[in-house]
Formats: sequence, structure tokens, C-alpha cells
Amino acid sequence: MGSGGLWWRVAWRNLWRNSHRTWVTASGLAFGFFAAVVMVGLTDGMTAELVENGTRLMLGQVQVHASDYLPERNMHRTIGAYDGVDVDALLERIENHPEVEHAAPRLFGGGLLSSGEQTKAGLLLGLDPDRESRVTTLLSTVIAGRLPESGAAEVLIGEEMARQLAVDVGDELVVVAPAADGSMGNDLYTVAGLFRTGTPGVDANYAVLQLSDLQSLMAMDPGRIHEVVATVSNSRETPRIAGSLAGSLREHPVSLDVKSWTELRPELSEAVALMDSMNFVIVLIIFAMAIFGVANTMLIGSFERRREFAVVQALGTTSGAVSLTVICEGIILGILSLTVGALVTWPVMVWWHNTPPDLSSWFEGFEWSGAQWRPILRVEYSLDAPLISAVALLFTTVFAALYPAWKATRVPPADALADR
Amino acid sequence: MSEIAVRTDDVWKIYPQEPFPVEAVRGLTLTIESGDFVAMAGPSGSGKTTVLNLLGGLTDATRGRIWIGDRELTGMSGKERARLRLERIGFVFQAYNLLPVLTALENAEFTLLLRGVPAAERHAKVLELFHEIGLEGLADRHPGKLSGGQQQRVAVARAVVGDPALVLADEPTANLDSGTSASLLDTMERLNREHGTTFVFSTHDPRVMERARRLITLVDGRIEADDRRAPARA
Repeated sequence: MGSGGLWWRVAWRNLWRNSHRTWVTASGLAFGFFAAVVMVGLTDGMTAELVENGTRLMLGQVQVHASDYLPERNMHRTIGAYDGVDVDALLERIENHPEVEHAAPRLFGGGLLSSGEQTKAGLLLGLDPDRESRVTTLLSTVIAGRLPESGAAEVLIGEEMARQLAVDVGDELVVVAPAADGSMGNDLYTVAGLFRTGTPGVDANYAVLQLSDLQSLMAMDPGRIHEVVATVSNSRETPRIAGSLAGSLREHPVSLDVKSWTELRPELSEAVALMDSMNFVIVLIIFAMAIFGVANTMLIGSFERRREFAVVQALGTTSGAVSLTVICEGIILGILSLTVGALVTWPVMVWWHNTPPDLSSWFEGFEWSGAQWRPILRVEYSLDAPLISAVALLFTTVFAALYPAWKATRVPPADALADR
Repeated sequence: MSEIAVRTDDVWKIYPQEPFPVEAVRGLTLTIESGDFVAMAGPSGSGKTTVLNLLGGLTDATRGRIWIGDRELTGMSGKERARLRLERIGFVFQAYNLLPVLTALENAEFTLLLRGVPAAERHAKVLELFHEIGLEGLADRHPGKLSGGQQQRVAVARAVVGDPALVLADEPTANLDSGTSASLLDTMERLNREHGTTFVFSTHDPRVMERARRLITLVDGRIEADDRRAPARA
């Protein structure tokens, strides 16, 4: 063993000279690690909830349109323009991308919905229920009735829209909408079901029809759709996957534009970035507080060993080696704290992730950046937060050891040996 | 002509205290030959310990020059001094000052470890020395499990194990009973005789003074007497 090994050995044994102090300090640091990982996990959970609700309800993670559709959303600018597109072939091509899971077609329209004396402007969404339910959760929010069936002239409307139009399941609605041929399409539809998403704008304004029914109302051929919405295998990688998908669709006969949810909902993307920066601040505050506590403890320990530092200097130890023993103590303390912290944090995170406390009986959720947040305190965990917290913890102990280590090198041997 | 182990030239040590600076060492000019067995005596506050600290480079002289062998100590950097102490100087302290977290063997081999001597060679050398000075079977004990005399023997072993040219011992028998003191002095005398190690003691102990081949008496930081004589007991 070289002298490097000596300092590690001395540092290790010094830590156990006052085992109570070491355990108290290590516990404090371990709790800091626990707090950092849990706090980051909670904000990550909140972020995941916002992104999930912001994208999974209707937006989807990736959208494909005709290149001139956005931002005006002109009804004539369907994919493939007036000729339309082979919808099944396009969906198959999109789903063949290795990182795309599912895809669903959509057609949008605007119109008036009337029942008796009540009339309301609304957004008409034509979709394929089977496919749509694989990419968004909209159709899983039905609270009464059922989904509209193809060719049955049925409509699914939001609960708030139903209240405003004073209709319920089984009642009839007249829908009037501008058609692609310049005429006004109108038809009588039966309310097949009601949905409640919790997002007021959706519940009050959307009416959902079978894709073919809306195409018929708007005098459009079956090949005409405005949008394909898709889900990807890794939502954190959506922008990259969207770029990759755009590349793979470049050779498609019609000009297509692919956008990720981060482009479609920049405010939600910014909210996520804000939460990420909050995580950084949380970790910074927790470990900045810990630095002073650990430094104080190590300073006391170093002061108690002034005479020993003087002795080892008298025996020929350099100042650098004297400081090294204190820094070794810091590193060992950090590893010990990290081990304790990880052993406590990991099972708590798994338990918390799987059985998150539901606070909805105490307060309702809220909407932020257009996404609904339910008061369910789920923590999310990835390797990032524990790794960053572990590095921060080790940095904390080493940084906290620097001042005591420097003080140890400043011990005047003659004075310390004389207890001056 | 003998080699010079230590030489000082008009060395002063002045502590800048209020209201008046304290002159702990005043114009010390001294030469100690290699292999000598020197005791520095004098009343408390006469400057004995300060002289040892100056010779060991543990404190800086206010003025004057100090040489250890052929190397001038004054003006050296901290790192150079540490190297010089490691290679040429051993210390024995009144309060033993063993490192409590290390065993007797680990304490004794400390300087060899700093020099990078391989473990097998270190252990063999320390165990041989332990045998020589009566510490057999105590190698794995921590200082807290050793008597005062045993701790001071370990400290002596630590000081001499690296074959330093000079051992500075600050009142090494002050905390020991007479039997243990005599035994320790026997050990150091034998090491001096057999290894040629130069010993410089500070002491109040008449038994140490009696054994010294040279007795330097300090009063108020100055050499009052320098008595070279044959030791009372060989």
C-alpha cells in the first residue's frame, strides 16, 4: 500500500472515532439526497401529468398535415388537397416508422349545432374511433351513452355543450356546416353520448362524429383528411422522432408537414422547461444547505485533530497530504451517505410511484398551459435525478471538506504541539 | 574530523507578543557532531523546546541560519522542509503523540510508508526494531491499549526506523516512571551507539543529563554552559 492508501485508511478510521457524529452527518446528507430525488420526482410527476394530459387527451405527440394547413387551418387544405390521399396507405407508412406506435386520421370543420331554441357554434371533429382510441384518451372520457357508429348519423358532444344546448343522450341535434363545394351542409344527428374531459374549452365546444359522416356533411371524398395524429415510443424524444418521421415522409407523393407536440404547444413545452429548471434549483438549494452543515462538522473534527496534523507534519508529511486525509474523509462520508440515501430512497420512490396519494378529495386540479393537472402526487423516476443528486452529494462532501482541509494545512506544528 | 549533524549561526526566535515581544532564543550558535548524544537542560521557559522546533524546521527562526548536515534549513519551502524531516530527522515527543487510529506497527512504519518503502520491507524492519526495544507482540495494538512506556517506545521506533541522521526528543522521559525512563534511555543509547544516530534531547530529567555526552544548559534563550564529557555510564 502506498501513502495514498494510508490516507484513505486514516480517513476511514477517523470517521469512526466519533461514530455518532459520522452517522448524524451521513443521515443528514442521506436525507438531502432523499429530499432532492423525491422533490425532483414530484416535479417530474407533475410534468409527466401535464404532458400526458396536454398531449394524450386530443393533441397527440406528433401531427402530420398538408404542408400549407397550419397555421390557418383552412378547410380546403386537406392532405393531398382536392384529390385527397390514400388514407390507409398513409397511416400504414407512418406506423411503419420504428418509433411510431399508432396513427389515426382526423377531419375538422366548424358549424352551428341547434336543438330547439338553443344554437351554439362548435368545432366538428371527424375521426375513426378505433384508431383514435389508440392515440388519444378523448374517447375514454365518455360519461354517458356510447361512441357514434358509422353511418348512423350520431354525434358525441361535450357535457358542457349538452348543457348549453339542453340536450341529453338520445336527443337530436341539427348540425349546419360549410361544405367543400361551397354549399352549406346540414343534417340531423342523434346524441349518442356525452364526454367530460375536464378541459372546459373541449367540453363546451367539440362535437365528435365518425370520419365518414363528417366527410359526407362537408361534401368531401373519403380520401380527404386534415390531420394524422400519432403516438411515439418515447415521448421525451418526440422532437427527434418527429424530425425522423418527416425525413421518412419526404418521398411521399404529397407534401407533408410533421410537427411534434413541443412545436404545436410551445407554452406546454416551456412549462416543462420551467419545471426542469426548478429541479435544478431544488437540488442546488438542498445541497447548498448541506455544504455548510457538513463543513461545520468537518471543521470541528479537524480542530480536534490539530495536534495530529502537527505530528504528521513533523514526521515529514507535506501540507498537500495533510489536506488529502481530510478530503478523503469527505469522499468516504459522501459515499456512505449516498449508500444510505439510495437504500432508503429507492423503495420509497417505487412505492410512491405505484401508489401515489390522491388529494382530489381535498382540492380540485387546475389547468396550466392548457393542460389539466389532477391532484394526484405521483413521483416519476428516471436515472437522471438520482445520478445528478448523487453527483451533487459527492460534490457537496468534497466541497465541504475543502475549507477544513485548508485549515488543516495551516496548523503551525510547533504551536499545535504545544497546544497553543 | 567528525561530520556535522547540526549547525546554527546566531539564531534568534522572537514571538511578537503585546506589549513586549518575547525573545525565546537569543543568538544561538551551536554545532552538534554526528553520532553525539546531547542533552539540553534549563529551567522552564529557557527555550529548550523552541530550539528543538527550530532544528526540526517546525518553526521559523526570526533571524540566523540553521544547517542540518550539509543542507541549510532556513529559507527552505514547506515542501522541502517536509522532505528533509522525512529523510533526515526523527521526532520523539513528551506526550508520545502516536496517531490513535493506527496500530503500533502502523505508527512505527509511518515514515517508511511516506517514503514508499514496500510493505514487506517495512513490516520486517519495524518488527525487528520492536524485538530490539522490547515491543514484541504489541504490533497490532492501538495506542490506547499500550502503557505510557510502551507508547514512548513505539514513538522512538517511529523516530529511528527510517535511520535518520538526527533524532530530536522533547522531554521524552517526562511522563514515565524511573524504571521505564531508564529502560527507554538504554534503548536510545543503544540505538545511538549501534546505528550512529545523533540524539538531541530537551530535558529536566537528571537521569538524561547524566547519560548525555554533552550537556548544553540554556537560560533565557542563551547557552549558559556547554559541557562536553564522557557519559557517566556507557
